[in-house]
Formats: sequence, structure tokens, C-alpha cells
Amino acid sequence: MVDLNTLIKQANELPAFPASAVRLAELVSRGDCDVQEVAELISFDPALTVKLLRIANSAASASEQRIGTAKEAVLRMGIEQVFALVIACGAKPFLQGAVPGYDLKDGALWRHSVAAAVAAEAVAPFCEQEIPPEGFTAALLHDVGKLLMNRFLSAEILGYIHRAEEVEHCGRLEAEALILGVHHGELGGLIAQHWKLPERVILGITYHHNPVPGMDPICEFTYLANHIAKQIEAGLDHKDSVLVPSVEVLRRLGLNLDALDKFYPIAACRYHAVSRRYNSV
Amino acid sequence: MTVVDFDYVRTFVRQQAAIVLEPGKEYLVESRLQTLARKENFPSVESLVQQLRQSPPNGMHRKMVDAMTTNETSFFRDLHPFAALRQSILPELLVRRAKERQVNFWCGAASSGQEVYSVLMTIQEHFPELLNWNFRFIATDLCAAVLARAQAGRYNQLEVNRGLPANLLVKYFTAKGVEWEFSPELRRRVEFSELNLIKDWPSLPSLDLVFLRNVLIYFDVETKKTILAKIRRLLRPGGILLLGGAETTLGLDEGFERIVFDKTTCYRLKP
Repeated sequence: MVDLNTLIKQANELPAFPASAVRLAELVSRGDCDVQEVAELISFDPALTVKLLRIANSAASASEQRIGTAKEAVLRMGIEQVFALVIACGAKPFLQGAVPGYDLKDGALWRHSVAAAVAAEAVAPFCEQEIPPEGFTAALLHDVGKLLMNRFLSAEILGYIHRAEEVEHCGRLEAEALILGVHHGELGGLIAQHWKLPERVILGITYHHNPVPGMDPICEFTYLANHIAKQIEAGLDHKDSVLVPSVEVLRRLGLNLDALDKFYPIAACRYHAVSRRYNSV
Repeated sequence: MTVVDFDYVRTFVRQQAAIVLEPGKEYLVESRLQTLARKENFPSVESLVQQLRQSPPNGMHRKMVDAMTTNETSFFRDLHPFAALRQSILPELLVRRAKERQVNFWCGAASSGQEVYSVLMTIQEHFPELLNWNFRFIATDLCAAVLARAQAGRYNQLEVNRGLPANLLVKYFTAKGVEWEFSPELRRRVEFSELNLIKDWPSLPSLDLVFLRNVLIYFDVETKKTILAKIRRLLRPGGILLLGGAETTLGLDEGFERIVFDKTTCYRLKP
């Protein structure tokens, strides 16, 4: 078991998430932000403004006028897309490194996070259940807990975790909880709390493997985004029962397995088309 | 971990707490005792177990048993039993005991208190009048250390994140440094004491509601039967026993009848 108070202390000592991203997440969560508000918020963050303009201008065609202000970028790209990029800018420094405790090399956690975020964007319109605006952020950050968990994954602890998976026939999450008394979803929720992200983002991250106790559609949604991301990364022809999302979760989102089968190629195309945008932040 | 050390630990834990550790669980014993060994400044699990084997049962043996006791718990664990409490069990109890206005509840594996306080919050939110009755809520556990924690009612951020809705956190808890403390007024309604389910029980009153959730799964069949028989003798007519979702009295004690409230299965005395 790991000392939970040590974990909490370390979570609270992590660098803060960029204030502009936190503020924008709050605005989007409220559901009533407008172009002016978003543009002003970005303008107060010069580094963010520079990044956003660079991305906006690289996406613009040669015939379009160059974008010179945050407001022009928001008008051209739309609030949703700007929001996604701002969150991605904030998240990338945290997620791009290697996470050896999970066999993730440099960039692997970031690529998976982007895949989940793109999956979230793509699948939301297909869900009968209304998906909250925090869905993208929760999907992008769903595995952030692995960063903190990684600090406690010595070779010895990893040995116990793998042994638990074998003996108990359980997944990694259950094995983490059995050996350490906590799993990476909970640690991710703790980090999101430290970062003062909206409550629903915290829920989506915490319950992205076991959505039922979260009692919020964002938990099922993040769970699904994670599954789709894993399938895209494994390749659409790769069949593994572990990658098949729970039928009950799909039902609660207003989807079924047949609909999902048709959706995977769309999600994969979208991932390959837009991942470059997020990788360039 | 050596076979001899594992056998020693599993035998001792079984004798003291009736917890069954099958072969194959060596990894679990080692991982739990590793933490204890480090805390107690032993260089290894082997040296800790050697010390335990060479000395008569003492505080360190108690710590070993405590380390092997699974204390996984959360607020409003499994959700549906608390919905059943709210929608069916407590309303029925209020009618049944309306004349005498006395009820006794027992939580037989209170651990660090989350279940007990979840029940109290449910009562305070939906049936506060019950707290004006002659209301006793006895909470017991084998493990002295976690019982002390339950009595203190203090939880870290991870613990309050587990199952506690934000509105109830704000309403019933006060931030104390980096921890959250449960309402002292409600905490005072609980009588905490040690009780080892497999040993002689101290005197308990006749009971209207018994919570023994996700505990019997650790015991062998004979122990389960013994515990259920004791509960049956304490339960009042109309009183309810709540077990964990994967647990049942079926095949263990024929004195109970099964009743279902939506997703929650409960047990009461057969008429």
C-alpha cells in the first residue's frame, strides 16, 4: 500500500495547469461564453496567443487574410476548436514525456490522450445522451493520473501488480487498487482537483475505467473515448475483447455495438486528419 | 516469500480473523507486509516474519493481522443499498416502530467509518425525525486502528472523492487542514467498539438493521454459518440484514427470507 497522504501531497505539488486554460474550461463548462470573452482571456496570455495565431495561420489557406489577433482566431476557428487547442496547449507539457511504469515511451501518452480527445469530439454527435462540454477535456486528460502513479511503480511494486493481474484475472486498475490502495483514475481526479478544473472533468477522469459509480454521463463518455482511442492505436482490424466497450455503457450513451462498428473508421480518419493540429501545439 | 513464512502468516491470520488466504496469494501477503516491515524498520519481510514467529502474540502480530485485513471502503458504496434505505427500508421501519420509537442499528465491519456515516447522512437528509427517537447506532470492527480513524471521522481528499457527492461534502464535512472532518453532532450518535466476528461477541441489543457488507466473503463456510446464526438471534422480527452484493444467506442459514428492493437484496427473519 502507498501512503495516501504522500500521494495527495505530491499531487498538490505538481505545477499548476495554465490559468487561462482553467478559466476557459470554467467558461465552457458554464455554457455561456462568447467570442469576446474567449478572445480577451487568450489575449491576457501572450505565449498562448502566439501559439494560437501560429496554428490558426498554418491552417488558413493562402488566399485567406492572415490572422493577427486572438479575436480573429476565435472568429475564424470557432470557440469549440479554440477551446480544444487551448486545453491541448496546457496539457501537452505534462503528457508528452515517457511513463516507464506503464511501458509508455516519449510521446506515447500524449498520442493516446489526443486519440481519446479526437474520439470524444467525433463520437459525441452520435450519442443520444447529451454529452457535456467538458467531455473533450476529460478525454484528453483521462490518463494524467499515470504521471503521479509512475513515481510509485518500482520494479517490486510492478511485480506485485502484474502478479495480481495474473492471479486475480483482473485488469490493471483493479490490480493497482489491490496493491497500492489507489488506482490511476483516482490520482488523475486528484490532479484535476489540484488544477481546479470543472467538477465534471474530475469525474470523467476519475471514473474513466469504471464509469458507474461516477453517476454522470461524462464518465461513460470518457470511458468510451478511451476505448475508441485504444482501438484506433491497435488498428481497426485488431480484434481483442478487452477493446470492446461495455454494451451497458453504450446503451446509456444511446449507442450500440453496430453503430460503433460503423463509427470506428470515421474516428480513425478524423484522428489521422486532426492529430497533427494537436501535436503542433 | 518462503512457503514456511506464507504458511505461518496465513495460519495466524485465519485463526485471528478467519480470513482465508489461499496458495497463490503470496504476492498479496508480501506486498502488504512489505509496507509494514518498512514502517517498523525491519530490513525485509523475512526478518519481520521471523520476529513474529519467535515471539508470543503481541502488538506486532496485531499489526500483521491489520495489514492483511482488506479495508477497501467508500461512501455510499454500491449506491443501490442506500437508495433502498431511502425508498423502502427506513420508511417501513418508521411505520413498524412508530409506537415504541426505538431502533437499534449495527454496522459489523465499520472499517474507517464511511458506511456508518453514509447511513447517518441518509437518515439526516431524508428521515431526520429518526434521530429524535431512542436511536442507537453501534459500529464495530476487528481492527483497532481503523476504528480509531472512524471515530475521529477525518478523511483525506482521496477518501472523500470516493463516493461522496460534492453537496454532501460541503454540508456535512469541515475542512481541517488537508483533511475533511465529518459532522461532530452526527459522529456523536455512533457507539464505536471493537468486535471480532469470529470470537465471542460482547453484548449487543436486539437489532432492527444490520450492515455486514462485503465481509462474509473472506470467511469459510462454517464461520459464515456461525456469524449468520448469531445475527439471526439478535435480529428483531421485521429487522433487516444487508450483505454485500455477492453474498447470500442461501445454503448457510435457513432462518432468513430474501426480499428484494429494486436492485438491493436484503434478508429478514422468516415468519
